[in-house]
Amino acid sequence: MTDTADTAEGIAITVNGQAVEARTGELLIDACERNGVYIPRFCYHPRMTPVGMCRMCLVEVDTGRGAALQPSCMLTCAPDMVVETESDLTKKAQDGVLEFLLINHPLDCPICDKGGECPLQDQTMAYGPGESRFVEEKRHYEKPIPINDNVYLDRERCILCDRCTRFAKEVAGDPLIHFQGRGNGTEVNTFPDEPFASYFSGNTVQICPVGALTAKPYRFKARPWDLEEVESTATIDSVGSRIVIQSSRNKVLRYLGVDSDAVNWGWLGDRERFSFEALNSELRLTEPLIASGEGHRVTTWSAALGAAADAIAKTPASRVAAIGGARLTNEAQYVWAKLLKDVIGTDHVDAQLGDGLPADLVLGLPRATIADACRPGGTIVLCGPDPKESLGALYLRLRHAVIEDGATLIELTPRSTGLSALAAHTLHPRPGELGALARALVAGTTDDVAGVSGAAIGAAHQAIAAGGPVTVLLGRASAAESAAVVAEAAAALSNIDDVGFLSTLTRGNVHGALDMGLAPGLLPGRQRLGAGIPRGWTSVPSETGLDSTGILTAAVAGEVDALILLGADPLRDFPDRHLAEQAFDAVDTVVAVDTLPTDSVAAADIVLAAAATTEVAGTFTNLEGRLSALAQKVTPPGTARPDWIIAAELALALGGDLAIQSLDDVWTELAAMSPVHAAIDPAAAAERDGVLVTGTIDYTPVEQGELPAKDAYALRLVSVRAMYDQGSSLAASPSSAGLHREPVLALHAADFEKLGVSAGDEVSVTSARGGVTLAVQSDPGVPRGSAVMVSHLGGPDPYDLIDTTTLVTEVLVERA
Amino acid sequence: MGVLDYLRGFRVTFDKLFEERVTTEYPEEKSPKPDRLHGRHVLNRYEDGMEKCIGCELCAGVCPAKCIYVRGQDNPLDEPVSPGERFGYIYEINYLRCIHCDLCVEACPTQAITETKLFEFSFTNRSDAIYTKDELLVGDDGLPQNLPWEDWRPGEDVATSAWMRATSPAGDADYVGTVGWSGELGYGVRAPEVGQFGEDPEPPAAEVDPVDEGGHH
Amino acid sequence: MAEGYITHAPGYVLNDGPKIVTSRFVHDDSFTLTRSRATGGYQGLEACLAKSPAEVHDEVREAVLLGRGGAGFPAGTKWGFCPEGVWPRYLVVNGDESEPGTYKDRLLMELDPHQLIEGCLIACYALGLSQCFLYVRGEMALAQERIATALNDAYDAGLVGKNILGTDFSVDVVLHWGAGAYIVGEETALIESLEGNRGMPRLKPPFFPAAIGLYGKPTIVNNVETLSNVPWIISNGAEAYKRHGSESSPGTRMFAVSGHVKRPGVYEVEHGVTTFRDLIYGDNHCQGIRDGHQLKMFIPGGGSAPWFFEEHLDLPLEARPVGAAGSMLGSGAIVIMDDSTDAVQACLRVVRFFARESCGKCTPCREGTTWEEQILRRIYDGHGRPGDIDMLLDVADNISPGPYPVAADESQGLEAVPFPPKQTTICPLGPSSVAPIVSAIRRFRPEFEARIPVRTTIPVSAGQR
Repeated sequence: MTDTADTAEGIAITVNGQAVEARTGELLIDACERNGVYIPRFCYHPRMTPVGMCRMCLVEVDTGRGAALQPSCMLTCAPDMVVETESDLTKKAQDGVLEFLLINHPLDCPICDKGGECPLQDQTMAYGPGESRFVEEKRHYEKPIPINDNVYLDRERCILCDRCTRFAKEVAGDPLIHFQGRGNGTEVNTFPDEPFASYFSGNTVQICPVGALTAKPYRFKARPWDLEEVESTATIDSVGSRIVIQSSRNKVLRYLGVDSDAVNWGWLGDRERFSFEALNSELRLTEPLIASGEGHRVTTWSAALGAAADAIAKTPASRVAAIGGARLTNEAQYVWAKLLKDVIGTDHVDAQLGDGLPADLVLGLPRATIADACRPGGTIVLCGPDPKESLGALYLRLRHAVIEDGATLIELTPRSTGLSALAAHTLHPRPGELGALARALVAGTTDDVAGVSGAAIGAAHQAIAAGGPVTVLLGRASAAESAAVVAEAAAALSNIDDVGFLSTLTRGNVHGALDMGLAPGLLPGRQRLGAGIPRGWTSVPSETGLDSTGILTAAVAGEVDALILLGADPLRDFPDRHLAEQAFDAVDTVVAVDTLPTDSVAAADIVLAAAATTEVAGTFTNLEGRLSALAQKVTPPGTARPDWIIAAELALALGGDLAIQSLDDVWTELAAMSPVHAAIDPAAAAERDGVLVTGTIDYTPVEQGELPAKDAYALRLVSVRAMYDQGSSLAASPSSAGLHREPVLALHAADFEKLGVSAGDEVSVTSARGGVTLAVQSDPGVPRGSAVMVSHLGGPDPYDLIDTTTLVTEVLVERA
Repeated sequence: MGVLDYLRGFRVTFDKLFEERVTTEYPEEKSPKPDRLHGRHVLNRYEDGMEKCIGCELCAGVCPAKCIYVRGQDNPLDEPVSPGERFGYIYEINYLRCIHCDLCVEACPTQAITETKLFEFSFTNRSDAIYTKDELLVGDDGLPQNLPWEDWRPGEDVATSAWMRATSPAGDADYVGTVGWSGELGYGVRAPEVGQFGEDPEPPAAEVDPVDEGGHH
Repeated sequence: MAEGYITHAPGYVLNDGPKIVTSRFVHDDSFTLTRSRATGGYQGLEACLAKSPAEVHDEVREAVLLGRGGAGFPAGTKWGFCPEGVWPRYLVVNGDESEPGTYKDRLLMELDPHQLIEGCLIACYALGLSQCFLYVRGEMALAQERIATALNDAYDAGLVGKNILGTDFSVDVVLHWGAGAYIVGEETALIESLEGNRGMPRLKPPFFPAAIGLYGKPTIVNNVETLSNVPWIISNGAEAYKRHGSESSPGTRMFAVSGHVKRPGVYEVEHGVTTFRDLIYGDNHCQGIRDGHQLKMFIPGGGSAPWFFEEHLDLPLEARPVGAAGSMLGSGAIVIMDDSTDAVQACLRVVRFFARESCGKCTPCREGTTWEEQILRRIYDGHGRPGDIDMLLDVADNISPGPYPVAADESQGLEAVPFPPKQTTICPLGPSSVAPIVSAIRRFRPEFEARIPVRTTIPVSAGQR
């Protein structure tokens, strides 16, 4: 896409005899398309550099030196250009190119997944010669070869348009597929013994103009003409990439990325792209369950809801708590918030599981959008999790901003990230000392701080002080480091002039949950508790409640009797698993509302089967605060119900009435009671780019407190997440389940000698909470004195070591 | 009105007494069926027993009654069901909906689905009306399976796998009169149809054994 | 060894006449620094360092030194295309000589590398740049070795590197070995290859190397022979240079003559004055077609040039008249074919080369050249079909639309189509494959037709069944 603004000065050109206005710097192919003249193309893709490879877009252009065929994808509009897209010369060139492309194309359309939605088919029908004069043998290659775990390559069908290879190099930064051979023998392939190991490989399947690249999860599942589709938003992470959900016979078969200018530019990470598999999983909860002996038995909804209502009704409101809610739609979150805070009357509600940030920090700082962060010439301060591992679509936007638009990237992360190679300044503070480093960075200290050299801090300070917009990507890089440490850093960074914060909390619709009041001390609409009873409500809790850590700690102390889990799995996802286990033992009744049988569901007394994304309509709020539509495409399995209906029914069973009969009722109430949603037109939210929810709450920084002196023999633990792990949703997606790495303890090589270990040794890692044994590995991206582990890999897990009550978790590493 | 007038009224009746009867004692007696009768479908095999269906769903796509349900799958490399990458994993025809229009046969790129002349089949429950792949596939002899509720008569199961269009599959008039389909199972090869322009077809080649000549034309 | 050949310079023929770039070839140690310096080597550099860069540039511009790589664009003018004030900028020497029939640059690199290095240095001085890349074709092992040795010697002698000859002029010359691909002789593909990418041409515009070249910076790409002329011009002056050759094409030029002549080889002859007849039949040059045979056709400028015939022998060896007559002088490779040559086979052989060497980027070239080869192969093997000749021309037309450059044919009353061809591809490789087809079919159509049997059925070879 040529980067032109609507307001740019026009250029008068002539297309097929019609006077047309092109924009300055616009490519001819775009200018023609915008004015209703479609020029056929294969290699041109608006989000990638034009290469002029396929020659399909040749048109007759006269720039004053006589008419000649020129590739319109590489020609910038110039004044007085005369373009003929339908002349005999153009037509003959199109015929010729299509005939050339088809001489080696196998025409196995009936078995090709692309048949029916194939640009080569379509353009051959529209512009082709009709018949081929080629009578020789076509080129033959081995039929589909896997180039990674999910993508197959059929080189016979390939028309060598350079889209996949360009994507791999330019967009994803994984140049692992390339052209090989020469002339007619040119083929796309991986390098020997090196698969196309990219988190974004599925995009190549989507942009392939023929069926050369096919994705295993969709392979032969359906034909394009029996797919129905609806535009929606991906909910697996908080970026909220726009997607098209395609289904056949009430089963979701494919997600495709949709080009939303504000969010994902049409790209999707493979984890998002193939995440629909979990929705079709055999493991899905389809009926309400109730504890019976060692396991569960299927029950009726009335029985399950009745049991849950009985357990809650007999418990004082202050002894009821709820964890989770990031899986829910905004509407369901609102209904649950109203149920919990109004009908039940508890404020012990937290959508996050102790691995996020305090709600008022996210809602209180000046917020930035992805576009703000990616502004040409801007500065990005990465102070959160690795976008490549956690927020794939955001990673691609950031990568583009740094490489193409000259943005400056400063990393304040506990270890190197997928963007480190692009970062202008990489500062790895010791765990717990991020705040000190941020203060030094803002002030421009030249002393060594937090294990980072003064020179490096000074250089990074220069980049910030040089002026220009600064965007801080704020999130929780390590679950082993308290959120208070991040808050301390955020307070320091908020002193930069013209700074905006882009939250990088990763979990699904967590930002919607914060907006809908699923956090202690908050009410829907970014309002604090204590500002009175909102319109449409009858009561609010009198005291500010506890967050997840507080709830679980209180439960262990016997102060919580009923625990409601809204799609949350504290036994796996709470960083301090020992605390979560103790809490589950202590609580009388656990009610789990979920879609998949997680560990916490297995331990619950009452399980309410919920409808998942693609099975419910509603809205989603992404990390920018952008509200976009979620569409229902299929019906839930069994008798599983949408979360908001479960809440409404539970309210009835409790003797209350939420007075919400439909999602429209939710919006009517929200418009009345929420200052930030009042101005939002639900129709605008249904647009592709959605609509931003704006407005912040008052925020007073809280000091993190004294960091205990570092134990000379201990290392500080860093717990990060990876793109692929054994999380419940990924484990239920066959295509993604096997892609996770083996757990290792990553240390800086300099620490090896001190510890007396060498690479590959089994070591025992012990903290105050517990111990695990795993192999140790040298990693230059880990600073000295830190020990990095990836959680949720299914083996030794840092969550067995973390103590959430301390600022940092220190571990002792010894040879096992 | 006299007696003659009365008898004159019976003239047509008396005349018809001596003409050949056109009514038959159906179902005891059946008249021959036309060549192009569209009856119950079969899924054909190649000579080596491989299924012709590749699961491309073109038949389902073209079906105006939406009575065909097909799903493809990756062909197992060690034991391929059909030649190529993909095979028809699920193939179902709902005969409560089928209008026997033959568009599925026209659409099929591998001539996997063709029609027999069996139309006399009825069901006692709805699930019997949905023919699955197991029921539609021809046997190793190339002949359709005779299911318990079907009333097959001689000749209805032949000429199924080599049913010709008037023109070639490509629609090229140059190939009118040329047998384009093989009778690879040795069953059901016959002379080509008269072309769309009405010329006489070339005489069938010597080794082609025309069968089923008795139909109406 | 026939008369005129030199033992240590295989392929070079020492003829009478002025010698500008091959003057040292008579010495068997012409490639050493000692010999070079003893015979005036690096005097041009010394002379140049005494002048201002603008004066040096003017001298080269004044000499009308035409590029010897194929396009024949004046080097002095090309040097002036570098945008003002954009640094760094680079000089790239195109030593990827691979046009079928050409082997003059190889001799210059093998036998006089110092002359080339000196030319580079002068060009760098004139352009004010400090980095030069010498891109030598992968297969030319001896040239690579001799240039490497020469560069080392020149660095040691202070002729290359920092503060050359004690001045504040510094240049680094980097020798880069190609991996063996014809297309890398195209300047933008060469730049891609030099950057470490696959050698595929870039589209011009926007990628005119002089503006956006190596690493996105202004880059001058010159041929080896072009730069080898520069030291002489600077030492002797543009006036002296213009005394040789014709007015529009001054100096001398090297031609590599191969094929059915009595004395094939590389000749340095006066540019624009000598005619094809002089070169092919002259006693001083090739001494005529081999005994008992007549000239059938000849390629005047390498494999990608349309063919010439008997009636073109009196054209001068100069770009413009050759272009107007429907071919090109190209890189100076003249291939002579006598009446024993099968026009279809010759055509197939040349087309096959282009089909093999297509880089695979543009569809018409990647698919079209192979298809052309397959059709020609079919005709040559006697399996041609009645419409094949016209189909071949139509396939060729899809690679190079419109009338293709071709020599006139008076017997058929057909006029010449002047060079260059139009193209649907990025670079001229694809259209080059059309040259032999159009030339051969226009002149020798009966030969093609004779190979196509009259049949009613389509024969299919065993490999296609």
